[in-house]
Amino acid sequence: MKQARRWLVLTAALVLLPQGAYAQKKKPPKGGEAPAGAPAANAPVNMDDEAKPANQPTPPAGGESTTPAGGESGGITGPSAGGMDICQVTPDAPSCQAQKEVNLVAEAKKAVRAEVYAVQQQYVIKAQRFEVMPYFEWTFNDQFVSHNAPGLALNYYITQVLAVGVNANWYDGLNADSEFNFQNRRAARIAVPLNIYQLSADLNFTYVPMYGKFAGFGDFIFHYDAYIEGGVGIIRTKPLPIIDPDNRSFPDWNTLVNFDVGIGLRIFINRWLGVVVGLRDLIYSEKLEALTIAPGNAARDKGTWYDNGTHITNDVQIQLGLTFFFPTTFDYKLPK
Amino acid sequence: MKLRSIKALLATVVSAGLLSAAGVSQAQEIQLTGPLKGAPAVRHERYYRAGRFDIAPAASFTLLDEYRRTILFGARLEYNITDWFALGVWGAYGGVSLTTDLTDRIDAVAPRDTLTATNVNHTGTDPNNLRKAPFADQTAKIQYVAAPQVTFTPFRGKLAIFNKIFVDTDLYVAGGVGVVGLQQRGTCSPTGTPCASPSSFAVSSTTQIAPTGALGLTFYPGGFWSLGVELRALPFWWNRSGFDTRGGGPNGQFPDGAVTDADSTFKFNTLVTVAIGFYIPTKPTISE
Repeated sequence: MKQARRWLVLTAALVLLPQGAYAQKKKPPKGGEAPAGAPAANAPVNMDDEAKPANQPTPPAGGESTTPAGGESGGITGPSAGGMDICQVTPDAPSCQAQKEVNLVAEAKKAVRAEVYAVQQQYVIKAQRFEVMPYFEWTFNDQFVSHNAPGLALNYYITQVLAVGVNANWYDGLNADSEFNFQNRRAARIAVPLNIYQLSADLNFTYVPMYGKFAGFGDFIFHYDAYIEGGVGIIRTKPLPIIDPDNRSFPDWNTLVNFDVGIGLRIFINRWLGVVVGLRDLIYSEKLEALTIAPGNAARDKGTWYDNGTHITNDVQIQLGLTFFFPTTFDYKLPK
Repeated sequence: MKLRSIKALLATVVSAGLLSAAGVSQAQEIQLTGPLKGAPAVRHERYYRAGRFDIAPAASFTLLDEYRRTILFGARLEYNITDWFALGVWGAYGGVSLTTDLTDRIDAVAPRDTLTATNVNHTGTDPNNLRKAPFADQTAKIQYVAAPQVTFTPFRGKLAIFNKIFVDTDLYVAGGVGVVGLQQRGTCSPTGTPCASPSSFAVSSTTQIAPTGALGLTFYPGGFWSLGVELRALPFWWNRSGFDTRGGGPNGQFPDGAVTDADSTFKFNTLVTVAIGFYIPTKPTISE
């Protein structure tokens, strides 16, 4: 057992020894100067030095000897290292002939028409990732009663641009009858029937037709995309007794089918976190309180409380929330 | 146990010594002096705004209206001192004013009697025999807006649509002071023109000073022109219905039989604007 431990330590030490091979600054030759044509170890690499193109032989200091001062290097090296160029040894080689025929200075001045995409690589790969989006929404089009609500959306991106998911809002407790509505009732003696919401839940498809990036103050870049969504679901509503609050109470919620469409903008903070702002319209057929009151005891009959018709209603909402993508990391299939 | 610990410690020290003998591992720092040295992050950047006049005919649509929707036609005139800062003015005239469903319902349903005589338009002087008059005539409308403003464009970038269309885009915020011309029901009171009198429902012109701010996107399909959409806020106090709702009772929260400034309520007026911008000079400058 003791022998094994010693061998183990020795083996580890031997295994680690080869790490002497590594990238290292090229030390200047001992006791001598670097060749005049060779850059010093810390000298910047000039990528387009017209006077001395990179693939042209560089005459060493003194102009006669091809051996660098110090004389340590004996092999054939690249000219930038101060050594001998292969074309000096075999000037008739085809590759050397080809180099002579190309005027590098003129070539460098030519305009480059590289194929550059406006957005080279999408910052966030959404395909096959889950999106969790908590948000809060505010009513955008109802001046009589607001239906603000927290909500949560869960989406799965089948492709980079198409997702399927669900979302739900909880309104109960946050419906608010506006003061404007009260003032209007008092001044004009006319009441507008109002409804409040309990919840809504929808199955949605999301399509992402647009993406892009912004440079902020010329200092940082953030990426964004825009999406459209549409789906179907349910919404639970009931009237707020306005016309005859003495007799009507509307204890039960009505479950109605709704269709929803929306657009949104998602600004990415990193590759798995973003801020979302959206506009969504829940379209459904509403059941409103009856504007007329049945005479006598019939006023207590629930069957007389509702208006006979149904009314197409648009509940337009502004949403602001966060979006989280899982898994939080991903790999690009293609190189940048 | 103690001996084994010493041996292990010695072996570790030896291994560490061998490793340290390998010297410092380092990579060469490449200092480019070639074409990338000192080069800007973006080459051939198009400065769509810097040093250019922007003339943008626009149409604005009011949102969340209670009694009237207004479509304003106008223009934004700006001079862009830099690519991110501009001075200018937005002005618009309320060319179209449409009543809301609520206004139509009040007009059709609201009783004309002694209880509503001060609030709902009518004809006749006998309180027991009031006749219907258009309620829409007493509701307020925006006549014009003129707003000197400064515009900051901190964000600029590009937008890909369907992976086929690429459009340079910027996002801006604007702020200024708006002069708003209104038509709203004039003042009436028991000591002046009685509010139950049909003549008191006539609207008169008035002016409000209001702060205004906007958040917008500009798309540049070409160097000479652009498309823009913005959301603008224009908050101020006004009496949109012409009702007597405040000024009496505790804390002035009840009707007092007079229509005065006390009946004006705060409204965070919002508008959506679409615009087509044209630029002079017609060609944007391009960075190196």
